[in-house]
Amino acid sequence: MNRAQRITRDALTSLLASRSRALLMMLGPAAAVAVLSTVIVTTQGAREQVMALVSKHSLDMLMVRAGAEVQIFAPRADRGLAVLFEDDARAIEAEIAHVRMVSPVQNQRGIEVVVRDRVVTTRAFGVDSDWMVLRRWGMAEGEFLSDADLAVAGRVVMLGAKVARDLFPEGGAVGQTVRVANDPYTVKGVFIEMGASAGGDDWDDRIVVPFTTSARRLLNRPYLEQIVLRVDDVSRVRETAERVRALLRTRHNIGPGEADDFFVREPEDVERAAVETSSALRALLVAVSIIAQVAGGLATANLMLTGVSQRVHEIGLRRAAGAREADITRQFLTECVVVSLGGGILGTAIGVAVALGLSAAGLASSRITWVPFGAALLASVTIGVAAGLHPARKAARLDPAKSVREQPV
Amino acid sequence: MERLAKSYRRGVAITEVLKDVSFTIRRGEFVAVMGPSGCGKSTLLNLLGFLDRPDGGTYRFEGADLSGADDATLSAVRNRRIGFVFQQFHLLDRVTALDNVTLPLLYADDDADDAAGGGAARARRSLAMVGLENREDHFPAELSGGEQQRVAVARALINDPAMILADEPTGNLDAKSGNGILDLLRTLADQGRTIVLVTHDRAVANRADRTLVIEDGRVVAGESAP
Repeated sequence: MNRAQRITRDALTSLLASRSRALLMMLGPAAAVAVLSTVIVTTQGAREQVMALVSKHSLDMLMVRAGAEVQIFAPRADRGLAVLFEDDARAIEAEIAHVRMVSPVQNQRGIEVVVRDRVVTTRAFGVDSDWMVLRRWGMAEGEFLSDADLAVAGRVVMLGAKVARDLFPEGGAVGQTVRVANDPYTVKGVFIEMGASAGGDDWDDRIVVPFTTSARRLLNRPYLEQIVLRVDDVSRVRETAERVRALLRTRHNIGPGEADDFFVREPEDVERAAVETSSALRALLVAVSIIAQVAGGLATANLMLTGVSQRVHEIGLRRAAGAREADITRQFLTECVVVSLGGGILGTAIGVAVALGLSAAGLASSRITWVPFGAALLASVTIGVAAGLHPARKAARLDPAKSVREQPV
Repeated sequence: MERLAKSYRRGVAITEVLKDVSFTIRRGEFVAVMGPSGCGKSTLLNLLGFLDRPDGGTYRFEGADLSGADDATLSAVRNRRIGFVFQQFHLLDRVTALDNVTLPLLYADDDADDAAGGGAARARRSLAMVGLENREDHFPAELSGGEQQRVAVARALINDPAMILADEPTGNLDAKSGNGILDLLRTLADQGRTIVLVTHDRAVANRADRTLVIEDGRVVAGESAP
């Protein structure tokens, strides 16, 4: 054992010898870490709930439709208003912050798809390669269209589940050739069952082709029905919608007082409010736990300082016996970090128990990962060093000549 | 250490506590330092023990001038060459007599004797020298004042120091226990250790080979060996 190890061991022995003082000093870090781990466990649970909500209702998605607001209630939205174009989509992607994915969307009903003697009339969509992830769709078989398909305006088609069932009752659609509006297309994939939209659209009764293919071949027109985009931060959906609106008004030369020729559809207010409340609450809890860390650190530092002044004689004696300043610093810092770590372990246990209690009582949802444990370790070592450094240096700098002579307190 | 004589020469002016104090102490001498309260006796002892640094003058310990030495060097000298005994004993009350005696080994640089057995064996030898071989597992509170001071002396002895500095070692003891401590110091001096003892008690000082009297920051008697 070298000198540093001996001194560390002596500090631990001395802590064991004065357990009540050590326990008292643990309370500050324990309380701080308890708050921290409660906050982490419950906010992780809340965050997960929010993420589930976001993905279920696509709360991070904005949809720009051609035509004024009333259009969405019209029986046929795709009546061919030539106001939205691919350049609008590219401008949104390039100019507006927090926009993560953008896809132009063309669609048209009454498209005939033929395989041998089977005919299905369905709705065709032309979209970008981001569209499937953006809309949170998935493939049951095969693949979604690629950037390469877009680049060459390839004649590939993805079938909705119902279309695939009607055209290929025995399955095996992928790789087959179908005629879409009399043009041969290769089936690249089949979507999973998506059900119907709230408005009654059957999401399984459709086909999807690359946007370039629909614009140049299938529909052979430049304008879009929609632009869909995803915002990278749910709490910024509303401000992003406003920015999109402002950008499109400028691009469409709409003067003040004139009505929009498009409509930006935002996610439902109710769900979004839940998400926003949750993130505000999370910020508050984070603030509370930061305050708890500082308070716990100050309490520990205070007890350490008291300990140093009570142990002036001990420090003087150790100096007389040959302890360097650095040895004294090491001793007190070790004590403080060990106490703080002990408090951290205690606090994590309390915090996790409280969080589980809260979720058992239905007041919060908890999710336990390694994060609270890592954070507790980090926080308690930080508290220990931050709270111990000043008292330890103060102890080391005591004048040994004075400290051996000072009268007992 | 080959010199037979250690010389302490000081011409000092320290915040008026000590003014131009010069003297020499030879190895193996038992010197008492006397003087009225506040005359600078304890300051002198702290300077001799490198717990404090002089503002001026020269102090040679075992022939070496350590005035420019760093904290680590001085700490090592305190650890290996000097033992301290205080009026208040300054024992750690939460550990046994044996562990109190072992304390200075914590700060030793050599690892040779740090195996638990080696350190404990040295501490036992040290306790035996002060006649407390049967008290090693006792806590300070279980010992009499005289025994506590003996533990403190054993602690001072564990690194086999050349010099022991005792600041009013009998000040908190009854006459009988005090005499026991003085006998012990006498024996240590006879074994060749230098003892410097601060006291204000004439009877205590009479046990020494020589008495250095300080008044108003100056040596007024006993500068050199009789």
